[in-house]
Parts: sequence; structure tokens; C-alpha cells
Amino acid sequence: MTTTSAAATSVVTAPAQVADLLESAGLTGRGGALFSTATKLRAAMQSKADLVVNACDGEIGAAKDGWIVAHHLEELLAGAHTLRPHRRARIVVAAHRGSRTAGLLHAAGVDVLEVPHRYVSSEESALVQLLHGGPAKPMTKTRPFVHGGRDSRGRRIRPTLVLNAETVWRAQQILARGADGPAWFRSHGTAQEPGPRLVTVTGHVARPGVAEAAAGIALRDLLDLAGGALPEARHVLVGGLGGVLLTTGETHTGVWSREGMAPFGGRLLNATVVPGSMGAGVVTVLDPARCPVEVLGEYIAYGAGESAGQCGPCMFGLPSIAQDWALLSRTPDPAVLQRLRGRLGLVRGRGACHHPDGVARLAASALSALEPHLLDHLSRAAAGRPACPTARSSHA
Amino acid sequence: MLTGLLSGSALWYLSRATGVVSVVLLTAVVVLGVVTAGRRSPHGTNATVVMALHRWLSLGMSAFLVAHILTAILDGYVDISLVAALVPFTSSYETLWVGIGTLAVDLLLAVVATSLLRSRISEGAWRFVHWFAYAMWPLAVLHGVMMGSADAPLLRYTTLACGVVGILATGWRVSSTSADRAQRRLVDAQGWT
Repeated sequence: MTTTSAAATSVVTAPAQVADLLESAGLTGRGGALFSTATKLRAAMQSKADLVVNACDGEIGAAKDGWIVAHHLEELLAGAHTLRPHRRARIVVAAHRGSRTAGLLHAAGVDVLEVPHRYVSSEESALVQLLHGGPAKPMTKTRPFVHGGRDSRGRRIRPTLVLNAETVWRAQQILARGADGPAWFRSHGTAQEPGPRLVTVTGHVARPGVAEAAAGIALRDLLDLAGGALPEARHVLVGGLGGVLLTTGETHTGVWSREGMAPFGGRLLNATVVPGSMGAGVVTVLDPARCPVEVLGEYIAYGAGESAGQCGPCMFGLPSIAQDWALLSRTPDPAVLQRLRGRLGLVRGRGACHHPDGVARLAASALSALEPHLLDHLSRAAAGRPACPTARSSHA
Repeated sequence: MLTGLLSGSALWYLSRATGVVSVVLLTAVVVLGVVTAGRRSPHGTNATVVMALHRWLSLGMSAFLVAHILTAILDGYVDISLVAALVPFTSSYETLWVGIGTLAVDLLLAVVATSLLRSRISEGAWRFVHWFAYAMWPLAVLHGVMMGSADAPLLRYTTLACGVVGILATGWRVSSTSADRAQRRLVDAQGWT
């Protein structure tokens, strides 16, 4: 173990005190939902819930959970033990089957929940269903599963608390500092989103990897943590499949926080604005040698293929959106663009796990960020020339 | 006519007549129910009309069925007791074929009772019991075919025709699986554990 045992021993052990400290620190879920960890923990203690630590790195390109397991496993497990909602609660750590992270956890003798390599399988309720012997598919939440409930077939689901691995690790860092924990935590980040947070910076950057950052950091400084975006880079994806697409120009002024990312969403047909988000701590610089419309098409097609086939807007809506996008990148047509914007509005806010929300947000923001590029496609198509010179050069 | 009533043979004829009308109406109700499910189910106003017919015809059918059962019990020509009308296979007369009719009646009672209580029970429980209709209807038709005497071919052929119509409707339903189910099967096959 690389960690010191001092950091792995928390000063605080009384459960009620744990929740109070996390609340005053302002710790929120590091999986992207930004929900208060203290609130979840109190509910879990009340319902005597089991604990699932989510170390799946489910978002495309994310590697931070694996990084914690690789470098701070002792602290992570100590944190899980401290957050244990009741004395006899089962603690499992979820990781993708066959992943390096799963291997490390097995080697350390941890109770591992092996998760299939599916995008929606690492979603909270999907993990809960998998833990109960069901398929790793999201469930409808009539009430939070931290209180238990029933799956779609009516089988009983025990109360289960799911926390992201970084959330557990941060909790341990706060608790290890005792009464000084909240002040230390709040010395990082912004008042709304306090605390240090990990971010995976990947793609067309000098040194891809996991870095320690905090909300409120300028996007350019965030990219600099990985040596900066390579000079010819044109587009940056913040937050993966459920995130937003920015031009590199926008990263010069953009700030990495919920408030800072909000303007980078997209507009839908009826002038609805989809706010941007920070996502699950992953920033990807796109390869400038490839047509960005085509690259985004791959993301959207992947998202459509990852539907669990349970909710209509997801199993039928996302493939239709992916189809429109593919059509748009091959034979651009203003009518298709119009239909696509309409469809993006139709799937929003629907589906048990809100998977369509993420994909729709990404597509809407990409339509804004790629507008000049798309217009270029359209005028080229009108002139009877190949849609994208970049796409052509990538095949050469 | 009067002598007929006194001798009890009118009850016998009434029982046979209400029986065959019950089978015809039951078949209509089943067909209307079958077409409301699946991919090619009716939309809009049609759906409302079909559903209303399904519900109200079932009420009408129940009236004929009650008449059929009561007349069969009251009639003294053959001996069918009230118990035999509710408990299957207790009739001394045609134990098997009367019993199958009784079984259909019991299943129908369950289907009707759960439908009347639908707003008070879970959707899953209602749906589960409603599936019994697929067992109840063939039993009713079988009862009709086997009990319809050889001297009344019209009754027997009517019942047989009901059987053919019902089987066609069920075949149509089975072949009209929903787009959802096809897609779900496809996704399920990808492996989720």
C-alpha cells in the first residue's frame, strides 16, 4: 500500500457525527450527480442499507476510480468501513469484469461486484439490481433504493447505498482530519462545489492521465494539468457521453463548475436551452485529424447501442437520433438537422436512468459547437462536393 | 307452450339456447379483448369503442350465462345440482363435460371479479388473472361442442364456428408481437450479468 496508515485511520467513528461532518464539508457525489453525500448516508443508516462502492469508471475515458484503487486502496477501504451504514452491512466494491481495477481489488481480498462492460450498467440502480442477482439494468425509482424497494418483476430489493469511489475516498480524507476536515475540504473548489476532485484528461493532450483539480478551475488550466491540448486541437469534450462539446476557443474562457459549464449546453427547436454540466470528471480533447461530426456520431451511436432496452425514448429514440446524426454527417440536409433538433427535445427528461438526457445534451451542445463546421458541410453538399475535407484526409 | 313449461322441457330448450348464445358472446368478448393487445391494436376512437364493447358485451354475456346455469339446474330433465354448477366434476350427468363447463365458469368468475376490483388491486394481479381467459374460453367452447346434442346440428356448428373464429384471433395476436418485445429480446441477448 502506498498510503500512510495515519490517513487511513479516521478520527471520527460515531455514525451520526460522520454525516454531520460530511454535511458541513459540503461533500457531494463524485459520480456526476452532485447530490449531498450526508443526506444519502443518513437515509442509509436509517434503512440499515448495504454499501456499494462504485469503482467502475463508467463514463467514456474516465479512469479516476481505477486510479484511486491503484494508489489509495487502503484509504478507500477505510472510508467504506467508516461510512458503513450499520454494523452488519455488506460492503462491496463494483468494478468492470476483467478490468485492471477488478484485478487489484480481488488481489486485496475485497468483496467485488463484477459489472458487465455496459455504459448503463454502472448506473446506481443497475448496480443495485446486479447485486441482487438480477441483470445490470437500471430500475425505475419510485423511491430511492437507499430505502429498498422492488424491481420491475416485483422482487424485493434490500436498502442499498451506492457511492462513487472518489466520494468514499474524499469522505475518508475529511474524516481523517476530524474537526478540521470541513475547513480543509472547503479550502478547495467553490462555495457551491467545494473540495478537491479528480479529473481524467485524455485524448489529444501532451500527458493524458488522472489529475487533482477542483471546481472553479479555468478549463485551460485544467487541460494544462495534462500538459495542455496539442496546438492543432479544435474541440474538447467535457464530461464524456453525458457531457458537452466545446471549441478550444471556448476553453480559453470557460470555467469548470456547474455554473461555468451551464452556458455550453445547446438549444433545441422550441428555443429550450439545455444547460451544460461538469459530468463525471473526464475531459477529452478530440483528434483534429478527424471530422468532429463523424467523431460525435460515433459517441452518439455508441450511446444508442448502450440502451438497456427498457424505456421507449431510449430504445427507440436514441437509435433514431444516431441515425439522423449519421445522415447529417454523410449527406447534410437542413431538414434532417431540423428533425434531429426535434427528436433531441422529445427524449429529454425521460427514461428510468435518464440515459437519453445525457446523449441528448451532448448532441445538442455538439450542434452548437459544430455549427460552423456543419454549415460548411451544408454548403459543400449544395455545391456537390464531398461533405468534409477533414473526414476525407483521415481516410487518405 | 304452457304444457311445455309445466313438463319442464321449455327449461331444457332455454338452457341450450342461452348456452349457445353465451358461447357466441363469450367468443366476441375474447376476440375484442385479444385485438386490444399487441402491435396492431386499435388506436384512438377505435380503441375506445373496442374496449367499451369488450366490457359491456361481457356483462351481457354474463346475463345469458346465469340464465344458462339456472335453467340447467331448475330443469328436471337431467339432474345438475347447484353444487355441480360451481364445483367441477361433481355432476352425475355427463360428469366430464359438465365439469369442464363448470371449470370455465369458475375461471370466468375470477376474471370478472378481478376486473371489477381492478382499481383496487395491483395491475400485475389483474393481468395475471386476466390471462386465465385463454384457458377459460377453450373450455367453454369444448363444453358447448361436447354437450350440444347430435340432434341439433345448428347449435353444434355455431359453437364450432366460434372455436374457429377464436383460434384465428389468437393466432393473429401471437403473430402480432409488439416492437418493444422484439427490441427487448434483442437487447437482452447482449448479456447483462
